[in-house]
Amino acid sequence: MTKHDDRQIREALQQSFPTVNTEIHRDLWPAVLRKLEARRAQMPWYDWALIGLSSAVFLLFPQLILVFAYHL
Amino acid sequence: MDLFRRFALGEIDAFETLVRQFQGEIYAWIVRIVRDRGIAEDLTVEALWRIYRARHRFRPEGNFSAWARRIATNLAVDHVRRKRPEQSLVADPAGGPQLDHLLQRETQEKIHRAFRRLPAKLQVAAMLALVEEQPYDEIADALGISVGAVKLRVFRAVRILRRQLSHLGVRP
Repeated sequence: MTKHDDRQIREALQQSFPTVNTEIHRDLWPAVLRKLEARRAQMPWYDWALIGLSSAVFLLFPQLILVFAYHL
Repeated sequence: MDLFRRFALGEIDAFETLVRQFQGEIYAWIVRIVRDRGIAEDLTVEALWRIYRARHRFRPEGNFSAWARRIATNLAVDHVRRKRPEQSLVADPAGGPQLDHLLQRETQEKIHRAFRRLPAKLQVAAMLALVEEQPYDEIADALGISVGAVKLRVFRAVRILRRQLSHLGVRP
């Protein structure tokens, strides 16, 4: 493949893809902060696992609810 | 304590300062790859969030800009991989008689489609090197590969593109 071939492909691609404006038009910090806060508010998987496990135990052994309530 | 060290420790104020300082640079890099401003903004937000999440892996004495750009590039490559090849953003050629205009547009459409069918890694390397004319060492750094590997990807992209275009009856 020659440099001439490369140049032809380069020029063809440059004509096919419109020039993009690389200037950012707004501050993205508020969106980043919202994303950070949303992820923080989400419960981690181990909390869900604990809830699931507790529910399963209480369903299988309902008498444990009274024991649990007594110790609260 | 310097800004990068405070960021690595998870200080949100330090991260905000870094976001304001580097968001333009990260966005510019992503938009060069994905070529859509809305998508580039979304990916920049996602990249910044990933940067914060990966702060423990950042060495404060290292180059934040290069590290951030690599995270952003990985995200952009994933986007290109997921994107369907049919999506098209062909430039509208200005001027010329109607028939020439249509032929030119059709040719550009074929080139565009052939390009979008390339593997994502080749597309990104070729886009940055051939369309955007970015320096090879910067592309290599952003992709986490050697300059030689970038040249090889560009070479392969050109070879595949030329073959596909010749099948479509297009001579660029």
